[in-house]
Amino acid sequence: MNAILSFRPLFRPHRRTFLTALLLATLTLAAGTALLGTSGWFITAAALSAAGVAFNIFGPSSLVRGFSLIRILARYGERVAGHQATLRFLSDLRAWLFERLFPRAPLSAAGLRHGDLVSRLVADVDALDSFFLVAVAPAVAVLAIGSIVAGLLALWLPVAVLLYVPLLAAAAFAIPIIAVRHLGASGRHAIEASAALRTAALDGIAGHRDFVVNGAGDRAIASVAEAARRLGRLRTDLGDTVVSAATIAQGLAGLCLVVTLCLGLDALHAGRLGGPTLVGLLLAVAASFEAAAMLVRGTARIGMGLAAADRLRAIAAMPPAVADPAMPVPLPTGSEVAFRDVSFAYAAGRPVLEGVSLEVAPGRRIAVTGASGSGKSTLVALLLRLADPTAGVVTVAGADLRTVRQADLHARVALLSQDAPVFMDTVRANLLVGRPDATDAGLWQALERARIADAIRALPGGLDAFLGEGGRTLSTGEGRRLCLARALLSDAAILVLDEPTGGLDHETEQAFLADLGAATAGRTVILVTHATLPAGAVDQAWRLDAGRLALMEETA
Amino acid sequence: MEKSTDDPDAGIALAGRSAADPLALAALRRHAGRAYWLALAAPLLAGVLLVAQAAELAGILERAVVAGEPPATLVPALALLALTMLARFLVGAVGERAGIRSAERIKLWLRSTLFARLMAAPPSWADSRSSGALSTALVEQADAVEGFFARFYPAMIQAALLPIAFAAVALPVDWLVALLFLVTAPLIPVFMALVGWGAQAATERQAEALSRLGGRFADRLSGLVTLKLFGRAEAETAAMRAAGEELRIRTMRVLRIAFLSSAVLEFFAALGVAGVALYVGLTFLGLVGVHPGLGYGAGLFLLLLAPEVYNPLRLLAAHYHDRAAARAAMIEIARQFGDDALLPPATAATGSAAPANGDILVAGLTLRTPDGRRTVLDHLDLAAPAGAAIAILGGSGGGKTTLLEALARLRLSDGAITLGGAGLAVIDEATLRRDLAFLPQRPRLFHGSIADNIRLGRPDAPDADVARAAITAGVGLFADGLPDGLATMIGEKGFGLSGGEAQRVALARIYLRDPRFILLDEPTAHLDAATEARVADGLLVFAEGRTLLVATHSLALAARMDEVLRLAGGRLLPTPLGARGGARPARGSGVIA
Repeated sequence: MNAILSFRPLFRPHRRTFLTALLLATLTLAAGTALLGTSGWFITAAALSAAGVAFNIFGPSSLVRGFSLIRILARYGERVAGHQATLRFLSDLRAWLFERLFPRAPLSAAGLRHGDLVSRLVADVDALDSFFLVAVAPAVAVLAIGSIVAGLLALWLPVAVLLYVPLLAAAAFAIPIIAVRHLGASGRHAIEASAALRTAALDGIAGHRDFVVNGAGDRAIASVAEAARRLGRLRTDLGDTVVSAATIAQGLAGLCLVVTLCLGLDALHAGRLGGPTLVGLLLAVAASFEAAAMLVRGTARIGMGLAAADRLRAIAAMPPAVADPAMPVPLPTGSEVAFRDVSFAYAAGRPVLEGVSLEVAPGRRIAVTGASGSGKSTLVALLLRLADPTAGVVTVAGADLRTVRQADLHARVALLSQDAPVFMDTVRANLLVGRPDATDAGLWQALERARIADAIRALPGGLDAFLGEGGRTLSTGEGRRLCLARALLSDAAILVLDEPTGGLDHETEQAFLADLGAATAGRTVILVTHATLPAGAVDQAWRLDAGRLALMEETA
Repeated sequence: MEKSTDDPDAGIALAGRSAADPLALAALRRHAGRAYWLALAAPLLAGVLLVAQAAELAGILERAVVAGEPPATLVPALALLALTMLARFLVGAVGERAGIRSAERIKLWLRSTLFARLMAAPPSWADSRSSGALSTALVEQADAVEGFFARFYPAMIQAALLPIAFAAVALPVDWLVALLFLVTAPLIPVFMALVGWGAQAATERQAEALSRLGGRFADRLSGLVTLKLFGRAEAETAAMRAAGEELRIRTMRVLRIAFLSSAVLEFFAALGVAGVALYVGLTFLGLVGVHPGLGYGAGLFLLLLAPEVYNPLRLLAAHYHDRAAARAAMIEIARQFGDDALLPPATAATGSAAPANGDILVAGLTLRTPDGRRTVLDHLDLAAPAGAAIAILGGSGGGKTTLLEALARLRLSDGAITLGGAGLAVIDEATLRRDLAFLPQRPRLFHGSIADNIRLGRPDAPDADVARAAITAGVGLFADGLPDGLATMIGEKGFGLSGGEAQRVALARIYLRDPRFILLDEPTAHLDAATEARVADGLLVFAEGRTLLVATHSLALAARMDEVLRLAGGRLLPTPLGARGGARPARGSGVIA
């Protein structure tokens, strides 16, 4: 519940629409209750007045018609306003969540699996969709109408109030609350099972080749079937709980009707109550339980919504990997990079980098080589402040990275990471990520420099060709070069290229490296590579070995 | 669940119009199990009990209000009323539980069948699709089918039978009211159908938007760091907001129509109830003389029955959305998985041939890109005798991966390939997978320990074998430094392991097996020279006596093979690899022509 309440600021802009929906929900229930009550009273009164007593039929019959019309219109309005407000809230919630994900990237460091994340964003947000409609609106309506019917009972059949109020409260609040509690754990499990099914499916889709070539296709099928079976079992439990709760609530409504009838018959016999009033009250009591039924029916969704809200809040509350300083200093112009006695460890006692010092003057190009796992990618992550060093200082243009805004830093340093993605979008959109205001001529120039222009020209649509997920209409090497073009396109003064030639054949690799100086004209370049470097490609070559950096050769 | 995938009649076509045909959806019913009739019959029994309940309540009130009977004499009637209500609630609950179970069985069948189908398709099939959209179809879209069977279908049966049954019950009481029921009730579905047509199209568009949103989220999330570092946080958030907003507008379009159709229904129901109330009231007052003998109890019974005549239709309207959502989901599933997604795989059985030795022979292999636009391999010939170790060099996008995938039967090809004298197309699948090992360019690591991932090659491999394979593949070089060694858990995309490390884990999978043919796609792409040499050492030991084809960019690795070929212009050409390559003794392998 607290998680839901923490989303209050997102509700606020849509306050008026939500209030309108609440008002109309109450009006709907009121009109429905009044309709049945008035009809019962009218018919009974008409039957009893058959003796010839003058009876004004116009008042009651127009009331019947009026209430039914009000009910129809109020219901339509309530649903439109309620859904409108809810969907706007959800749209805001998605964007709000996405905003919070950026400072927390890379998320995998927080132990979140990819399939899990997708599930959280799409399914959890949707699980919240009906929260207002199935929980808040009926609860308010039942409170309002329950009070009115209780008031009428107090007027004509006071003893029934003592039964009506607790029974309605039990059906509308106690049963749903118990059911939600009961559903809480299974609801959470169902969401997790759903995420597990998605992960198993994604494993099979993205790891199709691995399964097939290992003759393990049947195992993938079995694990998806098992995940689906588990989800099915949990959802059956959820459904059963709701059916049980609804049956109990129905029973309470039935009990209330029979007892009110008994008490009413007694009062009728004693002459304390007229026949028409009895029938009218009886039908009004029955109608007022309608909203309680809605609440009980919604418990599964309420439970899932609460669980989803908890998980979403957990993501939003995760501490960011690094935070901007309270008083950021402007990043001075310049493109020199320095590491001063930098150490880093993901876990205490397992250092990744130890006492690394490195100075790169503006416009110089250096290469860093080293075995897999020697800390090259960590070096890169520290330079982009995806993490802070455990000791020492990293500076760009003389400023300690911890004193400047991350946005300023990222505008200065562009990265081609080892796992740079090709987005499911056009070639153009993929490139514009690097520089949103680039012209077509600029795009082609970057493509030429990354030696991919010919392949793009051959695609139907050229720059407007749509690339599939993971860019698989391009080969791995082509996708890599597209990402390289994106990095080259950026106007950052410092370029960090992590394995820019992975997936390239030897000739293309050597040609690209020989051309590096021209392609990166005047920029500071930090090249992380395994490739043999042609003469003149870089000014300095460094080697990382078990977390320690050493100069290998100075070529310029 | 029965093994219904083996039953040729079990599949249903989702093609084009038949997917929009409710029959296609209704055909899934056969997978609901026997209990489904309970879900359909229980609400009808509850309807009968409802009539009894209304009659009993009206009788009690007539006796008390009109005849003035004392409460004491009414006790048995009150008890009967209470019992009738209880029975009705219980019958309803039994029906609902049966419905839930049946719907879950159908979903399980649907998911298993779709996934089995996906695994039976060539791997390149999934490449051109969004894995996010495929998994959304399997998880969310399959869920959307639930409402159809658990709620809509039982409601449809009720709506078809109960109003007419209630009218029949009303007939002996008052023929005019029965006629009113009969005339107004069938009108409602007509109006709803008119409104529903629009809703269907809108719902389909909404399902598409939902699937696109899922795919987009998945895609952008995998590239979150890149977007962040390029300062795209705000722009992407805005784009996400726009995508969400589009979904909202589509959803509202669906909902408005749905709400309108239920408002139409409510209007007619109100008209019917008000008509009965007015008719009964006026008859009592003597202002209408059609049925002067109508008693109070009978009149009240009719009034209590009136809303119930329209209730099954109201229920149907409430669940109309379930039907529309289920149909749209089936269309989306057909769009993602293909029109014949639920048919049993057509060519699952390949043949029963088995390779007799380790020879690989390719004659005149031609392959095009999936869109048929570009010829990747052009009458390619290759002869690799058993035990040969051959490197294939070539430019990026030159077709190395395509060739290896065709040899591994991961890509359909014409009959130009034979393995050990047997045509590739007719080799038994299990035999092929036992005899042929393949290392994909980007192997996938699954959530689990490193050892679990290696064991994919042989699930029952003892720890010692796994450890040996890990050492041979060079996994030990990094795993020894991890906190739990081979038991270290790695994430869905192999989090914590670099590309080169992931590749070595996948290589270790192969070392657990005993293949005749080994096909490796860039096994050392991300490795430094020293590690590469270690990996190559292990590889050459393992490959002794087996036929080895390695696609690579690495000249160092190529130099250690018996022979080096270059793939260019869709054909293989012999390549003397500098001094080293030429110096190695060739083992009689080579290129034909």
